[in-house]
Amino acid sequence: MSNSSIRARQPWRRANISTSIQIVLASVIPLPLVMLLALLAGLDLTMSFITLFVPLQLIVSSFVGYRAFGRRGIGDAILVVLTIFFSTFVLILLLSVLYSVITEGAKAISFQFIGQNNVYVSPTTSLDYGGVGHAILGTLIVVLLTTLAAVPLGVAMAIYLTQSQSKTRNLVRTFTQALSGLPSVVSGLFILSIIEATQMGRSGITGSLALFPLMLPTVARVAEEALRLVPVDLRYAALALGAPNYRAFFQVILPAAKSGLLTALLLGLARVVGETAPLILTMNPSSGTNLNPFDGGMTTLPTYIYNYLASSYQTSQARAWGAALVLLMVVGILFALARILGKSKSKKSKATK
Amino acid sequence: MSQSQTKPQRRKLSAGPLSRGDKWFFRTTSAAAHFAFVLVALVLGFLLFQAWPVLQSQGVNFVLGSTWDPDSDPMVLQLGPMLWGSLLIAVLGILIATPMAISMAYLIVFMLPKRWASVATTLIDLLAALPSVVLGLWGLLVFTPIAAGWAEILNKYLGFIPLFQVTDPENGFMRSPFIAGWIVAVMIVPIITSVTREIFSQLDRDLINGALALGGSRLSTFRRVIMPTASSGVVGGVLLGLGRAVGETVAIFYVLNLSMEINWMNLVEPHGGAVASWILARFGEASPLEKQGLMAAGLVLFILTLIVNYIANVIVNRAQPWRKNQ
Repeated sequence: MSNSSIRARQPWRRANISTSIQIVLASVIPLPLVMLLALLAGLDLTMSFITLFVPLQLIVSSFVGYRAFGRRGIGDAILVVLTIFFSTFVLILLLSVLYSVITEGAKAISFQFIGQNNVYVSPTTSLDYGGVGHAILGTLIVVLLTTLAAVPLGVAMAIYLTQSQSKTRNLVRTFTQALSGLPSVVSGLFILSIIEATQMGRSGITGSLALFPLMLPTVARVAEEALRLVPVDLRYAALALGAPNYRAFFQVILPAAKSGLLTALLLGLARVVGETAPLILTMNPSSGTNLNPFDGGMTTLPTYIYNYLASSYQTSQARAWGAALVLLMVVGILFALARILGKSKSKKSKATK
Repeated sequence: MSQSQTKPQRRKLSAGPLSRGDKWFFRTTSAAAHFAFVLVALVLGFLLFQAWPVLQSQGVNFVLGSTWDPDSDPMVLQLGPMLWGSLLIAVLGILIATPMAISMAYLIVFMLPKRWASVATTLIDLLAALPSVVLGLWGLLVFTPIAAGWAEILNKYLGFIPLFQVTDPENGFMRSPFIAGWIVAVMIVPIITSVTREIFSQLDRDLINGALALGGSRLSTFRRVIMPTASSGVVGGVLLGLGRAVGETVAIFYVLNLSMEINWMNLVEPHGGAVASWILARFGEASPLEKQGLMAAGLVLFILTLIVNYIANVIVNRAQPWRKNQ
C-alpha cells in the first residue's frame, strides 16, 4: 500500500462539480422565467415572486438535492431555500427603507437645509429656504439633558448589580427589564400627568424628562454587561491589596470597562434620539431656534418629521425626508462609534486570553 | 535572635463595617438601583391619579365598550376597538416577523461564514436602531402603495376567507391593519432575531453534528433537535416583540385609519385601531377631561405591556441558564 492512496476523504462534501452546476442552474434559471411571465401576464411582481418563484425553487432544488444526496437532500434543500427566502425578504425591507430615505433625503438636503431654522417657512415655501438647524440644536439639547441624568444613574444601577452582594439585585433587574418595555407614549403621558398636576409649563426640560425612563434601562443593561466583562479577579486583587470597594471600582474596574460604558452611553443615545411620541406630548413645537430648555417650545428632528409629514404638500414631504436623512445619519454615527468601541474591546479581551 | 522571639501582634479580622467611603459608595449605588422601583411606582401612581375619575365613571366598559364621545354629557370614553386593534396588529406582526426572524437567526448561526455572519448581525442591529418615525415615513410614502397592491390581490383571490373580506372594494386598501401589521413586523424582527440568535449560538454543536452524521437532513435536524431545545427561548423573544408591537405609536399612526367602529378580523379593511396611536391622535384637541381618558388608556397599555414583558423575561431568562450564574 502506498501512502498516496490514503487521501483525506470528506464524505460530507459530496457536492462535486456537476452537482454544484446543477444547484446554480436550479437557482438562477427560474428567476428570469418567472419575471418574464409576470411581466407578460401583467401580474404584481412581488406576488408572483412569492406564489410562483418560491414554490418552483423549492421543487427544483429538492429535485437536485435528491439526485445529489438522496432523501436527506430534500430536507436540506427545503430548509435552505426557505431560510434564504425569508432572510432576503428582511434585507430587502431594510434596504428599501435605507434607499428611499437616502435618495429622497438627498434631494432636500443642502448646507442651508442643515443650518437654517424654519421661522418664515410655510408648507409651500420652496426648499431653498428654511431647514432643520433649530431641530438639530433642539435634539442635542433635549438628549443631552436626558443623558446627564440617565447615564450616571444607569451606571450606578449597573455598579449595584455587579459589585454588591445585596439580595434585592434580582428584583432590581426585573424592574429594570419592566421599564425597558415601557411604551414610549406612556412615558410621555407620565410626564404630561406631572405637568397637569403641578401646572408647570411645557418646555425642553419636560421633553428630556419624558425621554429619561426610556434611556435609563438601556444604559443600565449595557453598562451591566460591560462591567461583567471585567474579570472578577482584578477586583479581588485590588481588594486583597487593601483597597476599599470604591477605589477598586474607580481605579481598577472603571478604566478596564471604559469602552464598554461608552458603548452603553452611545446605545442609550441611539435609543432616545429618534423618539417622537413622548416629545409630541410634552413639548410645544417651535419654528425658531430656542436654546433655553426651561422656557418656550423646542423642535427636535423626530418631531420635525412628524409635523411635516402631517401635511400633504410635496415640499413638506421633501422636508420630512431631508430631516429623516439627517436623523438617520445621527443614528448611524452613534451606532458606528458603538460598533468600533465594541470591536476594539473584544479584540483586547481576546488578546489577554 | 531576640527579634523572632517577640510574637507578632494578632490582627483583628472583621467582615463587618466597611470604610466610610465604601458605605457611601454602596449607599449611593443602592439608592440609584432602587430608583427603578420608584420610577415604575411613579408612572403607575401619576397615571392612576389622573385616570381615576375616568376609570370610576366608565367602569369596566372603558375597555369593553366601543364609543368615544367626549362631547356628550356625561362623557362616554370607551376603548374597546383600539385595544382589539392593537392586539390584532401585534399578532399579525408577530405572524409575519417570526418566520423571518428565525430564518435570519438560522442563517447567521448555522449557514454563513463568520465574517458574513457579523455583517448580517450588524444589519439586523441597524434595523433595530431605525427610529419609528422614519419607519412611519417610509411606511406612509413608500410601503403603503405596494402593500395596498398585495392586499388587493389577497382580496381578489382569497376574498372568500373572512380575513381578506372587505365591505366595499371602492374604498381602496390603504391604511388597513394589514399594512400596520407589516410595519410592526419590520420593527420586531430584530428583537426576535437577537434573542433567537443568542440561543441558537449556545446550542450544543455536537448534538447537531451528531444528528447530521446519523443521516438527518438540515430540515429534520432543525425540527427534531434545534427547535425542541430552543423553542422556549424563541417564544420569549416573540413575547418581547409582542410587548414592543403593542406599544408602537408613531409608525402605526401614519399607516392606519383609526376608527372606533370595531374591525374584528378583516385585515385588509381600511380601518382599525391601536391604543398608543389613538392617544397620539386625540391628544391635540383633547379637553382636560378627555386627556384624563387618554391617561387611562395609557395606564391600560402600560399594565398590558408590563404583564407581557414580565412573562417574556421570565421565559427568556429561564431559556438562557448560562446567563444566570454570571
